[in-house]
Amino acid sequence: MPLAFLAPLFLGALAALAVPIIVHLIQRERKEAQAFPSLMFLSQVPYKSTRRRNIRNVALFLLRSAALALIVLAFARPWFEGELDASSPLATATEKVILVDRSYSMGYSDRWDRALAAANGAIDGVGPEDVATIVFFDGGAMALNQATSDHARLRATLAGAQPGSGVTRYGPGLKLAQSILDTSDKPRRQVIVISDFQRAGWDGGDGVRMPAGTEVTPVAITDEQTANIAVAGVTLRREDVAGRERVTAIARLINTAVEPVAGVRVTLELNGRDLETMTTDIGAGDAATVTFAPFTLADGSQRGSIRVDTDALPADDAFRLVLSPGQAVDVLLADGGGQRSTLYLERALGIGDQPRYRTTTKPANNVRAADFEGQDVVIWNDAAFPGGATGAALGEFVRAGGGLILVLGPRGSWESAGELFPATVGRVVDRDDPGGAFGFIDYGHAMFEVFRAPRSGDLSAARFFRYRPVAGTDAATAVLARFDDGAPAILERRVGAGRVVVVTSTLDNYWSDLPVQPVFLPMVHQMTRYSAGWIEPSPWFTVGQVVNVAGPAAIVTTTAPDSAEGGAAVIAAPVPDLVAIAPGGDRIEVPTGLLSLEERGFYELRTPGSSVIGRIVAVNVDLNESDLVSMDAQELVAAVRPRGDAAGRAADASRVSPVDRERRQAVWWYLLIVAFVFLAVETVWANRISRRRTAAG
Amino acid sequence: MRLSHQAQGSVSSAGFIDPRTLARINNLELMARIVVDGFINGLHKSPYLGLSIDFAEHRPYMPGDDIRRIDWRLYARTDRYYVKEFEADTNANFTVLLDVSKSMQFGLKGINKFDYARYLAASLTYFSNQQRDRVGLITFDRGIVDYVPPSAKHLDIVLHTLDRAQPAKGGELKPALDHILGTLSRRGILVIISDLYESPERVLDAIKPLRYRGNDVIVFHVLDPAEVDFPFEEAGNFEDLETGERIPIVPQTQRAKYNELVLAHIAELGRLFSHDQIDYALFDTSTPLDYALFHYLSNRVRLMKTR
Repeated sequence: MPLAFLAPLFLGALAALAVPIIVHLIQRERKEAQAFPSLMFLSQVPYKSTRRRNIRNVALFLLRSAALALIVLAFARPWFEGELDASSPLATATEKVILVDRSYSMGYSDRWDRALAAANGAIDGVGPEDVATIVFFDGGAMALNQATSDHARLRATLAGAQPGSGVTRYGPGLKLAQSILDTSDKPRRQVIVISDFQRAGWDGGDGVRMPAGTEVTPVAITDEQTANIAVAGVTLRREDVAGRERVTAIARLINTAVEPVAGVRVTLELNGRDLETMTTDIGAGDAATVTFAPFTLADGSQRGSIRVDTDALPADDAFRLVLSPGQAVDVLLADGGGQRSTLYLERALGIGDQPRYRTTTKPANNVRAADFEGQDVVIWNDAAFPGGATGAALGEFVRAGGGLILVLGPRGSWESAGELFPATVGRVVDRDDPGGAFGFIDYGHAMFEVFRAPRSGDLSAARFFRYRPVAGTDAATAVLARFDDGAPAILERRVGAGRVVVVTSTLDNYWSDLPVQPVFLPMVHQMTRYSAGWIEPSPWFTVGQVVNVAGPAAIVTTTAPDSAEGGAAVIAAPVPDLVAIAPGGDRIEVPTGLLSLEERGFYELRTPGSSVIGRIVAVNVDLNESDLVSMDAQELVAAVRPRGDAAGRAADASRVSPVDRERRQAVWWYLLIVAFVFLAVETVWANRISRRRTAAG
Repeated sequence: MRLSHQAQGSVSSAGFIDPRTLARINNLELMARIVVDGFINGLHKSPYLGLSIDFAEHRPYMPGDDIRRIDWRLYARTDRYYVKEFEADTNANFTVLLDVSKSMQFGLKGINKFDYARYLAASLTYFSNQQRDRVGLITFDRGIVDYVPPSAKHLDIVLHTLDRAQPAKGGELKPALDHILGTLSRRGILVIISDLYESPERVLDAIKPLRYRGNDVIVFHVLDPAEVDFPFEEAGNFEDLETGERIPIVPQTQRAKYNELVLAHIAELGRLFSHDQIDYALFDTSTPLDYALFHYLSNRVRLMKTR
């Protein structure tokens, strides 16, 4: 049986054995003379020239050399090649990957207990030559241990595990299993998928194919009939009543069961206190809405939730949200032409509650510098650009972050607006009947992005009969829309922290019919929001999202109910250093401001070292997971099964890695034992020789 | 304290006298086996009669004899003049002849031969001085290096001279001892301490005249164990300490023959000295001096009783 080595480079150390011999052979006589009292006798002894000395004790030398050679051989990790018995444990050693679905749907009824029992059963099947890795997967996948055959370690991995809040996606788990098996040197491979095999989570396996010889074993944890009621969403309707903001919450419930459910109790909870409980009926596979009575919203953000009675799947029985006072954008409408020119703008801005627009209309020539204070946007509607102190204040207002919308009409003049919008405005251009239209719109721009999708607003329907041509713009000016004759229709320029938007036609029905088009309202809103830099805060997020909690887009700032700080809701300023307390109580450092939402519930954001809650993020589960309809597990098996599986398995089964065979044979161990025995004998022997020599001397 | 421990570094004159050595030989006597000259009563036989109370013999009166020593009683009986002679004990000249040739400087481990010889000389000198002998010292290589004439008061000078002595040249016994022979005026005890690196015949040829002059000659042959065992392992050049000559040596192949030659040399010296009634003792520097000296003096006392 031929001998092979796992680390043959170590054999190079055998050359070290030659060192003492070479030294012995090449060693020359000492150059320093040995002083001696008299050479009287030595000179009488015949001198026999010997260049090399003989080895005095050949057996001892051979013993030492053999010991060293054995140690070197042991380090080279030898093993005996040859055919392996196919029935031997080494030939049937299996690399197992146990995929356990921990999406929140596994929390349905006793599914998780059954899944753990199945996982423990799979661990029982791990033989002494097998190794297993447990992988939990939901939206992502994570291997919980290094591949091992230690049952205790594997069971410890499962101990205390609970279903998470994620959704089922098979791709990540299967990919991780594939990568583990790709690097395996075991002759057999097996993937055990323990899941409820939700149809909603199946996306074709993301093209994952297991390595040849892999056996895919599904363990379906399903129920013949499922019943689940989930709170699918909440709509908040706001209104001002006597200067206070009142909110009406409308909850949407879904029933995924095949049976209708009557008398479902739905409760609105605010800051831990039940405000109202209502009852409703939901048909089989149907949805229902529940409208709660309006309630007055207090200052500051508050935790709210709408929940139904706990059922077999508790994860989707509550919908959490952060209730904040409604946002308002203050708009100063400077009118240059009279009532008619501002009518449509005032009407458009008078509609809307997210945000609300607080519009102040003044004749342009009466606008003073103090009027810009507290405004988010100034619409300078068909009026000569102000000069003097008002013009300077308007410039400061824009540079400080304010928005300015310049609407050019017959009265618009441009001489002193050079700093804010350096361009030349030409004479009025008349378009022949039926007038011009938008020929180009930059739908990639934030202002028009909402109109990108079909049926999201037909901007091309508007007709423009007159406009003011604008030329001579600088490189900082972007054209967001053009008329069909190529002339700029809407332009934008950043000035300091603010934005200047120029509309080259009037926003009344004299120069165009845009105000009477359905798209006029959302367009004015978008233009105003964009100019104000307003971004809608989200009252809730979904598990799996990554939120920039340091940015204004994430959440509104809030003050804890017991905090002494002011409670007015404002757009969040970037916070450089935050700590998040997860719903489960875990403390998460958020140095980059990006928080990955992994659990359902409320995340509390604080500054490090402070007990005051700075912000709250409400996180809900993805309702796709609430649909408990299962797929055929064999569909998944067929999708990921390796091609040419049978042949591959047969070919692979007879292959055992040299590492395994070497470990199994453990030849190095015997070599080391023999080497140490040799060394012990050598020690005793050499000492005895030394003592004998000393005694003789 | 072992002697070898004292021998490291410079040694004061008193340092050569090891209390342990002296304590060991305190109850012994270094007695001259032959008649030695002396002025005072001592342990040794005096060459002169009539100065003691122990009757020795009668002899016929010779012109010049002191008429006070004529035994008148015997004249009355025999009608002849006889002079009455008595045996007289006397003190002796005790002189150490120390070889200070460079070969004495050798010592492979521990004390070298020269230091060992100095300890030996100092111990014997002190010991002799204690028994009221006149002590002297002659150091020699090819000639006389230092000469301290024997005197009862020269112990300090002898010890000081021993302290100063340093091997510097090669040695040769014959010319040195011939020279010494000319300086010795009285008979006494001569202790020669040397490594005797000459042929036994030449050694004896050099020493015999001293003996024939009537001196009690004791030869201490001091050797390092390495000079006998030749324990060297590595082949290389060996350099003669006295001549500087170098020859290549392979110890492993030459050791046996060397041992044979050295042992034969020692045996021949012993035989020749014994033949001429010269005391000979081989001192190995690895043997503690007290032990070696005690052993030698004990033997000497025992042998004198049997003679």
